[in-house]
Amino acid sequence: MKTVQRLLPFITLIILFAALSIATPHFMTATNLSSVVRQTAVFNIMALGMTLVIISSGVDLSVGSILAMGGLMGTMAMSKGQPILAGVLVGLLTGGLFGFLNGVAITRLNISPFIVTLGTMGIVRGLALVVSNGLPVHEIPKAFSFLGEGTVMGVPFVLLLLVVCALLVHFLLEHTRLGRYTFAIGSNVDAAIYAGIPVKFHTTAIYAIGGLLTGLAGMIEASRLMTGQPTAGQGYELQAIAAVVIGGGSLRGGEGSVVGTLIGGFIMGLLANGCDLLGINPYWQQVIIGAVIILAVSVDELRKRRAV
Amino acid sequence: MLLELKGVQKRFGGVVALRGGDLSVDAGEVHLVMGENGAGKSTMMKIIAGLYQRDGGEMKWRGQTVNFANPVEAAHVGIAMVHQESLLAPHLTVAENIFLGREVANRLGLIDRGAMVEKARRLIEEHHFPLQAEWKVERLSPAGKQLVEICRAIQHGTSLLIFDEPTSSLSEAETHEVFKIVRTLRDRGTGVIYITHRMDELRSVGDRVTILRDGETVHTESLATLSTASMIRYMVGREVAALYEREPVKPGPELLRVHNLTSPPAVKDVTLSVRAGEIVGMAGLVGAGRTELCRAIFGLDHPSAGQIWVDGKQVSIRGPRDAVRHGVALIPEDRQKTGLARELPISWNVTMADIPAQYGVLRHTTERDVTAKAIERLRIRCDSGAQKAGRLSGGNQQKVVISKWVSRGARVFLFDEPTRGIDIGAKVEVFEVMDELARQGAAILMVSSELPELLQVADRILVMRQGRLAGELPGRTTQEEIMRLATLPSSGTELEQ
Repeated sequence: MKTVQRLLPFITLIILFAALSIATPHFMTATNLSSVVRQTAVFNIMALGMTLVIISSGVDLSVGSILAMGGLMGTMAMSKGQPILAGVLVGLLTGGLFGFLNGVAITRLNISPFIVTLGTMGIVRGLALVVSNGLPVHEIPKAFSFLGEGTVMGVPFVLLLLVVCALLVHFLLEHTRLGRYTFAIGSNVDAAIYAGIPVKFHTTAIYAIGGLLTGLAGMIEASRLMTGQPTAGQGYELQAIAAVVIGGGSLRGGEGSVVGTLIGGFIMGLLANGCDLLGINPYWQQVIIGAVIILAVSVDELRKRRAV
Repeated sequence: MLLELKGVQKRFGGVVALRGGDLSVDAGEVHLVMGENGAGKSTMMKIIAGLYQRDGGEMKWRGQTVNFANPVEAAHVGIAMVHQESLLAPHLTVAENIFLGREVANRLGLIDRGAMVEKARRLIEEHHFPLQAEWKVERLSPAGKQLVEICRAIQHGTSLLIFDEPTSSLSEAETHEVFKIVRTLRDRGTGVIYITHRMDELRSVGDRVTILRDGETVHTESLATLSTASMIRYMVGREVAALYEREPVKPGPELLRVHNLTSPPAVKDVTLSVRAGEIVGMAGLVGAGRTELCRAIFGLDHPSAGQIWVDGKQVSIRGPRDAVRHGVALIPEDRQKTGLARELPISWNVTMADIPAQYGVLRHTTERDVTAKAIERLRIRCDSGAQKAGRLSGGNQQKVVISKWVSRGARVFLFDEPTRGIDIGAKVEVFEVMDELARQGAAILMVSSELPELLQVADRILVMRQGRLAGELPGRTTQEEIMRLATLPSSGTELEQ
């Protein structure tokens, strides 16, 4: 019974998958599935970074803004004549920089992550609008679309990227000192300090890594839209948080996993896709997804309470 | 007879918390309830106070069978409970807290602040409590908060009052205040049920004692005829060496030296030294600055003056990281809050201060070995190292916290109240661990408010008073000597901080 409960998100995903295949013939097609993968890749890559942040008992509300800023900076670099690879790198580093600044503000000013990132959510979005003058960047090399839309031997390139990122973050979390510290900080920050763990350094690193992944997500988004949009990624922070939480992450910290987050992300993706295919009013989609978040977390809480 | 319980049972899912709770309380009696953690004391009290409903057995109030569906029903017949942890709203005033949920309203249904304050003031004066109705609760000391809890419980004609470990967070003087209140209530004919862990305090307050073990009442007797040794035997269910005897070790070189350490506001000009193999006790009243001294040595607070030597070398400790690097370990007073990551596996806790890794990559095999060794060496009772640390008993949790430092190879150990909230049987095991560490050449400074414990374990005892070292006593001193040094003749209780 316990195993069933722990596997519940996975089982839900399977059931959702099966139900959609039966309900509509348009679901199990290569085009649709690859479009689901492309749509969810952006969220999922962001959610991987959010997993680290949430395990450390933090939260990052500014990822949507950072995504826009990363995409904007990367595309602007390309429009100024930089090669594509350099542009992508600029996008990544921009994300990493703002994540790093979040971490610095949280650890040095000793303000809760919620407040700091609520502030930077506005600051970064505003800066993106200032820098771009509110206008999207269009002069992008055609080949850049490969990042978001290309395939390698029939597999969407973003899926490969997602798998690589997931493996990296999983390794980081489960097999490195940084990962262990992330759990320790999130589970009991005082105990971590008392044990001599450099809490501030590692907390900053966690937000920087989250920013880096968000920067990458921003470049993918820009590639899919073939523009650098200063208004991109609005509301994405909630999607990323939802994916982590549906996958068993706890906002109290100390809990969460890469596998869980990916499952959470795909559940969200399939729900949106299923609603589209079944012709459900997009207004209702929001209601359904919101309800699923609450349902998933309450089931998880129930499981934990029983386990005590 | 006021209250009578016979064979009361309570289950939580598959876990039986209480299988045979018997208890009888008379009016004008202080009835102690004792037992190890998990013996079912709190469950029994919560059933009496209406917080839980019993699954079986009988409960009679003044001869009538009663079933309380909630605390309000229990309060209605005159049963109230003072909880162990403060259940007050810190940002509200004393008066607002006393009447929380039972606000005094005027004819319009609005809160009548003036009347409420007046009622609270009368209540406070009646009992001579050193409180003011308009004080904010957050500014009160733990004892002050306890008094507010008591006010809440006795505000309207309470005939049975339950105290759940009321003195666990109080100083000696504050404890005596609580005892005075308990005696006054008893003399007025109120029945009092009093849960405590502290062997030293119970005889000064109780009339009869009921002992629970594994969810069952095993014994009830008058305190006048029951010896401490048999009390412990009933609690633990086997013979326990109530008096732990430690064979002193021949001290080696000086491992910790603190010179003129001042850490405002609590620590003033403290000089001390601990040698390898020594267990040095640190006594004093709550608030004497003992915890703050440990914090200052460990780098959690920042001393304004003074030097620290570790193993003969002067060291600069600006944070816990420096302390850890120099081999200094702190086993904090508040295990749950600062010592243990409850949700993480035992093994992760054991290796937290020294994670086996190469180039940042964890070495899981080494970690398993280290954990297995720690579990064996400290005799941590668990299913496996993968078990969540929070699931262990208090004593085993404490061993996990200690093992974190043993794995790290620390040589100077600062134990702050190491046996707080730990069963009697497990206390001895913690002492054994400390003794073993000392034997292997560690220097141990042990802060404890339980004087009998200090007398049993420490080679010599330092006494702090108001931030300063008041004196040093040999290990075989008496409680009276320690208290004489720890208290100033004129010391009064300051309830407002």
